[in-house]
Amino acid sequence: MALLEVKDITKRFGGLIAVSDFSLSVDEGEILGLIGPNGAGKTTAFNVVSGFYRPDAGEVFFGGNRITNLRPDQICKLGLTRTFQIVKPFPQLSVHRNVMVGAYNRTNNRAEAAKKASDIIDFLGMREVSSVTASSLSVAYRKRLEIAKALATDPKIILLDEAMAGLRPKETDELIELVRQIRERKIALLLVEHVMRVIMSLADRIVVIHHGEKIAEGEPHQIVQDKAVIDAYLGEVEINVAG
Amino acid sequence: MSPEIFFQIFVNGLFTGGIYALTAVGLTLIYGVMIIVNFAHGEFLMLGIYIAFWGFTLFGIDPYLVIPIAFLLMFAFGALIQRGLVQRVLDAHPLNQIVLLVGVSTLLVGVVQFFFSAEPKAMHVSYETAVITLWGLRLSIARLVAFFASLLISLLLYLFLKFTRTGKAIRAVSQSRDAARLMGINVNFIYALTFGIGTAITAVAGVLLAPNHRLIPTMGQAYSVIAFVVVVLGTMGNFIGAFLGGLIIGVVEAYAGFYLGGDVKIIASMLIFILILLFRPAGLFGRKNT
Amino acid sequence: MTRDTSTRISIGSLRNWLSAVLSDWDRTQMTLCYLLVFILALSPLFIKSTYYLGIIILTVIYAFIGISWNIVAGFTGQLLIAHIIFLATGSYTTIVLYNTYGITPWVGLLASGVVAGLLGVVVAFITLRYGLKMDYFALFTIALMVAMRTLFLKWDFVGGAVGMWFRLIDISFSNMIFKTKIPYLYIALGLLLIGLIVQYSLYRSKIGNYLLAIREDDDAASALGVNTSFYKMMSVVIGAALAGVGGGFYIMYVTFVEPPQVFNLALNVEIVMAGPIIGGLGSLAGPLLGALLNKPFIEIVRGVLAGGRSGATLIVYGLFLISTVLFMPQGITGVMYRLYLKVINRFNGKAEEVS
Repeated sequence: MALLEVKDITKRFGGLIAVSDFSLSVDEGEILGLIGPNGAGKTTAFNVVSGFYRPDAGEVFFGGNRITNLRPDQICKLGLTRTFQIVKPFPQLSVHRNVMVGAYNRTNNRAEAAKKASDIIDFLGMREVSSVTASSLSVAYRKRLEIAKALATDPKIILLDEAMAGLRPKETDELIELVRQIRERKIALLLVEHVMRVIMSLADRIVVIHHGEKIAEGEPHQIVQDKAVIDAYLGEVEINVAG
Repeated sequence: MSPEIFFQIFVNGLFTGGIYALTAVGLTLIYGVMIIVNFAHGEFLMLGIYIAFWGFTLFGIDPYLVIPIAFLLMFAFGALIQRGLVQRVLDAHPLNQIVLLVGVSTLLVGVVQFFFSAEPKAMHVSYETAVITLWGLRLSIARLVAFFASLLISLLLYLFLKFTRTGKAIRAVSQSRDAARLMGINVNFIYALTFGIGTAITAVAGVLLAPNHRLIPTMGQAYSVIAFVVVVLGTMGNFIGAFLGGLIIGVVEAYAGFYLGGDVKIIASMLIFILILLFRPAGLFGRKNT
Repeated sequence: MTRDTSTRISIGSLRNWLSAVLSDWDRTQMTLCYLLVFILALSPLFIKSTYYLGIIILTVIYAFIGISWNIVAGFTGQLLIAHIIFLATGSYTTIVLYNTYGITPWVGLLASGVVAGLLGVVVAFITLRYGLKMDYFALFTIALMVAMRTLFLKWDFVGGAVGMWFRLIDISFSNMIFKTKIPYLYIALGLLLIGLIVQYSLYRSKIGNYLLAIREDDDAASALGVNTSFYKMMSVVIGAALAGVGGGFYIMYVTFVEPPQVFNLALNVEIVMAGPIIGGLGSLAGPLLGALLNKPFIEIVRGVLAGGRSGATLIVYGLFLISTVLFMPQGITGVMYRLYLKVINRFNGKAEEVS
């Protein structure tokens, strides 16, 4: 069975159907890309999977356990951590303390958590800003902090919501490399991205969502040739692939 | 309980409710537009009643004539407070907003206490005990006038919000600050205007209370609390809800006062408040709207 | 020869100690607090007037109560406005246990903590179960205060509207009745010390980290495995329990309690809110520094404008609160922190020059 199984979830907001009969699965150590136009339902899907929304229908399974109506913190304890599209640092806390919040997920011991936080901070190349207040960080560092916090929770899978948005090409390359290294730690990843370069270079498989429904699924080279995908989404994205 | 007493209590409650309604309308207007709970709201009512007292004892002006003066004065005062103080914390942590307003409330009580002393005061107008008898009910003229004045002012405000351009601008801002801005509405001006109006009508409610009410600088707190209860009952931001809620609370309180004793009647509002928060926090009218 | 090196060693270790302390702002704050407690403990040596001693005692207990609120409002960012209900509950618990059941106040203080803590559980439970956010929570606590005031006014068991006077039977240690004020000072300082230690341990622990995270961003904390409801409740209960103990001491000291006196927003501003806000809400030294600036100053105001003009203190508080929010949202501690940074930078610069 897959590590993460999302089965036919539907989420409505009043009369608007954000996500409809949506399914996907992620295997251990796999990188799954989730792409689609703005408003397609990607973040809604994330929110359902991570416990921030309750689905109106459907189920979510993680590691064989039903996690559908669990709280976000319970889901995190089980090994699924998500990041936020608009990053959510703890503004007045230092970078180190920020990451320690994640690190405490698996331990009650301060020294252990501190060490884990320091290790993660080193891994993300943020040692020089370790004692800086999160609100003073640059955009690039904030994005890294978001990932650092998630990594510190010692997850089996991380849901990355547009982790590369707003970064310059060099910064993007660095993060792509970082994500590869995360995969080497046997952590699965579910990536939502608009930057096609990122998806193409990282994803093992891609799921395409449009108007809340899955319209395509497959390996990257299949997806770019899929007519439905091109009509709905990639048509606009040709430009991005070049740049 | 005889029908006469039943209706007498009902009518008394209604009259008190009218004042609550007017106060609550002011509070809900401010909340609806600025999403800020005015913790100093009761103090504006208290200022109103003291203005009436001042006008009467110093210049011999009848409280009802003071109404327009109080309205304008307090409108300006409210707008100033909004511009100078509240504006700066509109996007700050709610704790800061509350502390600021608690500070304003404390300051206002202090100022009044300083100039008027903490001793309870009362005004004695010639008509304060005048009653008319209608259908077997004894109605205090002053309270009757206060009730209809509340009704009238609320109605005028309602019409203003619904039909005038400025009123629509206010409603627009309450629905979406950014959209309103994009439409060219000067949002900061609307904020000051709304706060001013909310303050002013609450002060007028205070003036209306003057003929029959004991004045004490800390009286605002009880009215603040009741205004909160009413606003939550009527759904925060909902104009009609606030008005109806005020009447309801007034009536319920009147019956509670009859059965439980005057000083305990406030517990009726507290209980209603806690019940609403627990079982229907969105209030009687569900979703927020102005 | 020996003396030379020993002096050098002691100066060296003093310098080491200083740099160890000053390298960490948190540690600096705590050292400052302990120093202040020490000075306050010595105060009977140079302050003989019972009046001034009394002000110091109240200042100390205000600081303790301030710490209890700081944990809930400062660390966890909860809008618990009418925190005074926990102090009041504590006061009543201690005095009822003593007057009616003859239980020594020493036990009474503990009982006060427990009872107030239980009230905290109830408040937190209702708030979380029914999802009372932000403003609603603040209003709920105020409504609770008003309700409790009315209830206690009618409840004969706690003295009703008449209130309760502390029965001054024997001057004895077990009754916590003393001839002079000095023992009260040391009890209060003891409580303050406990409060400071609890606050600091909490701050450094996992719980403290989680509380701060919840204050900063509830959803982000949740996504990282923090059971936010549980920890919010924990902060309320801890704050309530501490305030209850403080209330127990408070009533021992002022010897009289009645509902309008303690279930009172003005008192809430004076004891609970003013200190931590002026000192710096959410900081370690804030409650103590704030209390030191608050109580003595307000007593001067009261004294100077004595008689009739009671509004003066309220005006001062009002202005205090308003100006702090607008101009000094991090309080005195925030201002000190900026100074501290400057000093540290200059010190580091100098050290680099020398080496």
